[in-house]
Amino acid sequence: MRRLLPAVAVAALLAPAGALADVQQVLLPGPTPYPTPSPPLATGGAPPWATLTFKIHASTDQRVGTGVDSRGRVVSVRALERLHLTGTGDYLIVVSAPVLDVRMGPGSQSEPGQRRGQILWSGFSAKRRLLVSDAKLRPGPVRPYLPLRLEAQREGDRYELTLTNATTTAEVAFQGAGSPKELAALLDRTRRDSLAHRRLRPAYVTIRGAVSQRPGKTRISAPLRVEGSLRFPSAPAAASGGTLDGRTVRFAFVLGDRQPLSRRIVVSGGGEPKLSLVARPDAVVRGLAPPGARSWSAALARRPLPADALLKRLIETRMELVRSDQFQGFLSNPDQLGSDRTVYVYATTAAPKAVATPVGSSSGGGPLTLLLAVGGAVVAAGVALVTWAHS
Amino acid sequence: MRRLAFLLAGLVLLAAGCGKGSSSGEAGRLVVAVDVPVTGSPYVADTIRQGVELATSNLNGGGGVRVGSKSYLIKVKLYDNHLSARTAVQNARRAIDAGAVAIVTDGTGVNATWQLAKRAGVSIAITHDGGTGLVDAEARPNVFRIAPTNHGIAFRYAEYLIPKKLKVGLLSDDSGYGREGAADIGRAFSGNPEAVALKLTLPAGQTDLTPQILRARRAGATALLVWGQPPTIASALSAARSIGWKVPVYTPPTGSDPFIRQQLADHPDWVDGLTFAGGRLTAEVGTGPFVNFQSQYESTYGADQVGVKNAQGEAVVQPPEFAMYSYDFVHVLLAAIAHAGSIEPAKITAALNQVTTQGANGDERGFNEHSHEGVVDDDVYFARFHDMTYQPVQDDPLSATLPLIPQTRSQ
Repeated sequence: MRRLLPAVAVAALLAPAGALADVQQVLLPGPTPYPTPSPPLATGGAPPWATLTFKIHASTDQRVGTGVDSRGRVVSVRALERLHLTGTGDYLIVVSAPVLDVRMGPGSQSEPGQRRGQILWSGFSAKRRLLVSDAKLRPGPVRPYLPLRLEAQREGDRYELTLTNATTTAEVAFQGAGSPKELAALLDRTRRDSLAHRRLRPAYVTIRGAVSQRPGKTRISAPLRVEGSLRFPSAPAAASGGTLDGRTVRFAFVLGDRQPLSRRIVVSGGGEPKLSLVARPDAVVRGLAPPGARSWSAALARRPLPADALLKRLIETRMELVRSDQFQGFLSNPDQLGSDRTVYVYATTAAPKAVATPVGSSSGGGPLTLLLAVGGAVVAAGVALVTWAHS
Repeated sequence: MRRLAFLLAGLVLLAAGCGKGSSSGEAGRLVVAVDVPVTGSPYVADTIRQGVELATSNLNGGGGVRVGSKSYLIKVKLYDNHLSARTAVQNARRAIDAGAVAIVTDGTGVNATWQLAKRAGVSIAITHDGGTGLVDAEARPNVFRIAPTNHGIAFRYAEYLIPKKLKVGLLSDDSGYGREGAADIGRAFSGNPEAVALKLTLPAGQTDLTPQILRARRAGATALLVWGQPPTIASALSAARSIGWKVPVYTPPTGSDPFIRQQLADHPDWVDGLTFAGGRLTAEVGTGPFVNFQSQYESTYGADQVGVKNAQGEAVVQPPEFAMYSYDFVHVLLAAIAHAGSIEPAKITAALNQVTTQGANGDERGFNEHSHEGVVDDDVYFARFHDMTYQPVQDDPLSATLPLIPQTRSQ
């Protein structure tokens, strides 16, 4: 249910809203559904057969290692998922992912299995169990779901790296007449959850009169905290967008949360750099900062704040937190209520060498060969029969 | 005109012959070979064969397996390997020539047969022998197993016994089974040498093991882990109890073999406390699925009588554990045939990595590209005998969750 498209939920929400109720409780975004089906990664096909009884709970921490070439294109993806099970009982866990190969990761108390598009776990948990998978994934299907897009360009001596938050999506939002006092309290509660890095709790807002769809779609992004460096063979002459420290240019910023979704680092000289960075889905801080007070309720007590702006802010920031939470679980967690944490690590790597595929190496020949053989046999036999018939 | 009729008839026949799975409504046949030691180990052979036959008769009764537009009935061909690798090779050749899509075996001769079978694309399913080297998903992609592995049992024993602070005497007989088990158990305990009192090889087939048991006692053993054939375990128990040594004795699955209880029928108290490791017979869903399977098995073949009675005079029966494994393999095989959409052995073998079915005990059964083991290490439990029947121990987290399987029948 957590993965359903929000549009469905919003549509369901708005349908009764059109009714004549004077005052109604309307569900705010969060903690689910997520605005898009992935992440977590899914490989399509039949839903995997998996069991995790109510007696077992699971949380994950994940590290997605992305290898990029000199132009910032993704050439390899490796996902390390640590599944912490608590509780006693059997488990059968299927994690969907376009997996090339999966091995047991450090500290794992069991070995993962592999099927096409699946990582499998099966066994018995006695109170606690740590399952760690280290999987190589096919970069093609994974690329669209990575939260950060990199683009590197070189023009002569000038090197330019653009980092773009790739989590942006458009969502339907609603509008209506809310109470500023309640909205301020909800903003404060949302802010507390955000700063504590807690998953949002379900919350309702009281709307007087009709609820309607806000015109246009709201574009939201998960805030991404990015920290990294570019290490050059020799000291660059100058750098902007980062701090030059000898042969290294360091950078740290948040993409989103009322800050630019894209940043550029420009460096003169130094040669071809090696990139290394870590991106983390982050809390909404600026978007939830109360204007000129310690809390939204306090700000409202100082001066009137328009209810519509408060509701818009509340919905948008909650959507951003939901999106951020979505990117915390790059690979799926079998426990829908379990917590997830994912860090995305990008590093320059050598592009994989093309492997020549032998042509016609199949021992039995292809279907065409079979067809020709059968057809030939039929024709030959037919000719023989005709010859015999005319003899 | 007559020649033209012949010509047309000939072409029609030719076309029919060319079309595999043609529109004919008649069911085709798929062969599953069962290669077991009918004359070497009849109990094992019967239980494996009966598991396969039970699964196939259920399926055939329902019209067989459907592939595309054609239905296929499963024909079971039985071969006796006499516990001989050489005979197993001959049997594998005959089974492949007979068009078998899979060979179900106790494990005899698999080191020699798997390559033959691989060349023909045929899968081999081991449903008894837990030998560590027999199954390797990468090196032997056509070999699968549904049975507890020696590695898993050894690992679980280390996990179970080491925290008890016992000084364990690791005894194994000099049969192939004993040697393989000794290697696995040695590895499992290698990180905790303080838990091992001694390692000793026992001569398989020797009825009096008193000297070896006395030696274990002198070495300070406070528990014995005896890895060997059923006669070895019976002799070790007999030797220990006859000298009045109440040492706890632990064994691999062979400890549950009816032979031991038959041998010690005059001293049922000597069997009391014997603990063995085995594959769990029930899943978290409870006893229902296994008891259903057991009752279906017993109504078809009768209960596997142990040949002893409990203190109440009730006949003791053996739950059909190994029949369950071969029964489950047939179901996984059928799921693979459906997944492959083909009766080509190589395609079926490849599809075995991609399917899961519900086993007779209610647990999931299946293989994958990295593991061809249908019984994972975590499925190994411990059971202890009392009054000629056994029940799961309560001092192991997994075993403590498992219910008792009824093992007696009123006369």
